[in-house]
Amino acid sequence: MGENSFAHRKYMYFHDQKYPHEAIDIHHIEVQSNGAKRVFLSLLTAIVVGNALYLVLTKEKSVTLLFSSFLLWAFLRKLLLGKPVKKESVVIMPTLGIQLETLYISGRITRQFVPVSKILKPVLQECVTPVTCYWSLSLVLREEEELTPVFKELRPPLKMLIPVWKALCAATGEGSSHSRTEDSGDAEEGVRSETNP
Amino acid sequence: MSRKNLSPSTLKPPSNLPPRSTVAPAPPPSQPGNADGLMGDRERHRILMVCDFFYPNFGGVESHIYCLSQCLLKLGHKVVVLTHAYGNRSGVRYMTHGLRVYYIPWRPFLMQNALPTFYGTLPIMRTILVREKITLVHGHSAFSTLCHEALMHARTMGYKVVFTDHSLYGFADVGSIHMNKVLQFTLADVSQAICVSHTSKENTVLRSGLPPEKVYVVPNAVDTAMFTPAPEIPRSNDEIVIVVVSRLVYRKGADLLVEVIPEVCRLYPHVRFVVGGDGPKRVRLEEMREKHFLQDRVEMLGAIPHSRVRSVLISGHIFLNSSLTEAFCIAILEAASCGLLTVSTRVGGVPEVLPDDMVVLAEPDPVDLVRAIKKAITILPTIDPQDMHKRVKKLYDWHDVARRTEIVYDRAMKCPNQNLLERLGRYLSCGSWAGKLFCLVMIIDFLLFRLLQLVQPANDIEEVPDMVMALGEGSSAGDDIPGQSSRRWSTTC
Repeated sequence: MGENSFAHRKYMYFHDQKYPHEAIDIHHIEVQSNGAKRVFLSLLTAIVVGNALYLVLTKEKSVTLLFSSFLLWAFLRKLLLGKPVKKESVVIMPTLGIQLETLYISGRITRQFVPVSKILKPVLQECVTPVTCYWSLSLVLREEEELTPVFKELRPPLKMLIPVWKALCAATGEGSSHSRTEDSGDAEEGVRSETNP
Repeated sequence: MSRKNLSPSTLKPPSNLPPRSTVAPAPPPSQPGNADGLMGDRERHRILMVCDFFYPNFGGVESHIYCLSQCLLKLGHKVVVLTHAYGNRSGVRYMTHGLRVYYIPWRPFLMQNALPTFYGTLPIMRTILVREKITLVHGHSAFSTLCHEALMHARTMGYKVVFTDHSLYGFADVGSIHMNKVLQFTLADVSQAICVSHTSKENTVLRSGLPPEKVYVVPNAVDTAMFTPAPEIPRSNDEIVIVVVSRLVYRKGADLLVEVIPEVCRLYPHVRFVVGGDGPKRVRLEEMREKHFLQDRVEMLGAIPHSRVRSVLISGHIFLNSSLTEAFCIAILEAASCGLLTVSTRVGGVPEVLPDDMVVLAEPDPVDLVRAIKKAITILPTIDPQDMHKRVKKLYDWHDVARRTEIVYDRAMKCPNQNLLERLGRYLSCGSWAGKLFCLVMIIDFLLFRLLQLVQPANDIEEVPDMVMALGEGSSAGDDIPGQSSRRWSTTC
């Protein structure tokens, strides 16, 4: 597809350079599906459902057992396969705005357009949850309190986020290489940290 | 809480020696040459400080962690602090000189402590330890549940662990017994431990059963740049002001104050009291004021923010500390740095803090305290605040505390790595049924850790790029007010 691409674990990054990047700049992050996991999951499905049906029909156990085994199967499926996203893209048109696309495995596509006048700054920040900590790329928009995440479903690694962030900075006219980090005592969101490798 | 001094065998240091303790716990006297020898091949550590109590809370433990971290950063180590979220303050924050603080979103449930779920914090701690490439975990305060959990998980994952105990604790009541058992569990497998005074060392060793060779004594220090005496102004010798700044709770001796203040006011008509701080016992002090008609002689200031403590202290001549138990007492050190003569109860580690001519000690008894205040008033004309400040400046310094702590870290890193079976032996010796329970807890923790390694391999956790200061670092830890400085940064991935 593009000339610039690299992979890290289950993510693959593409930079589309078919078009001149002053007009339109496209970045994709694709999830590589794991065939072995799917086979394993189908086997597991067969075992769990088969066992539940056997117990209900022949051994006269209650139907709640069937429901709880379905719940277990759903939980295991979510754990193994994760989100049903195939690819997320960012289309940067410096004069118009940014288009964020999400392509699901089922073929459904959701898009969001952000006009360039609304963007204040793209930021890389660390998000801390009770169980983990990860980097995310977001846009600070004018007159909006919440940050807009660029990659809504996926959590790609930092080295894939950096080229996208740089392209966003260039497009929105932020292009400073040194940046300030301030400790904001009362900020609503987490501290913004900008990196420059 | 036990009121008596828990170590009658601890002697006061001779008055001509500075009241510092040797770093090495073994009998040979401290040799300055040792420290120099170790400095030559100093390795850079990457330290994770863990405690429930940190900024924006203000207190002894919080300022200890902050000042120690700043001085360690100056020495070239990397320091990261882990604490729980305070209200809206959640996520990653940066403080002066690149000190990263993780406020993890676990809600505090009791006295600013995060809920102890045993294994709940294992995933986030593992993530932080891997992404920051930590080499050593340093936990503070036996009252902090996050600290105990962090030390347990860090040992399971094979990191070296250091624990600092900041308070004395009793032995007699049910709460103490349980607390001591938890401490015994945590310290059964710690690499090294630090206490802030010799009294505290004895107390910790007795409570936890830790071998004394593993415990180092590194006293706290005070920020002498911030606590300076009042500039030279002619003092009116007629009026003497006695300052009290403490939380007005039982263990800080607020009840003693209620008895002492009217008596002193009766004996000395030219003495005035200034009482700063708030707490449940404030009501008793107000009642005392009403009963003896002392409204014009006893001034109650209420809660004082930390930045204003110095201005309150320099308005006085004598500092009164009536605590019933103290491991170390930074308050009297701050007062001495401001040039005040101190009157204090002889409890815990207080005799170890200041030389004899800077402090007048008394038993925690109203009559003896009044006698001590009498003595202090008579020797007050001989006190020179500037001279006192200079002496405290030479005796106590956070950079020195950081250097001594670094020596403890070096010793901790030299401890041998042990696998699970060898470590379980130490837990079994904690008690007949408690030992088995502890072993079970550690085995489950180990299994959960292995499961986590399968589900989320360490390679998947990205390492954080190190931030490097672009400008020169000129200011000391004391000059910067936390959270209010901004610096230019660049990072190296």
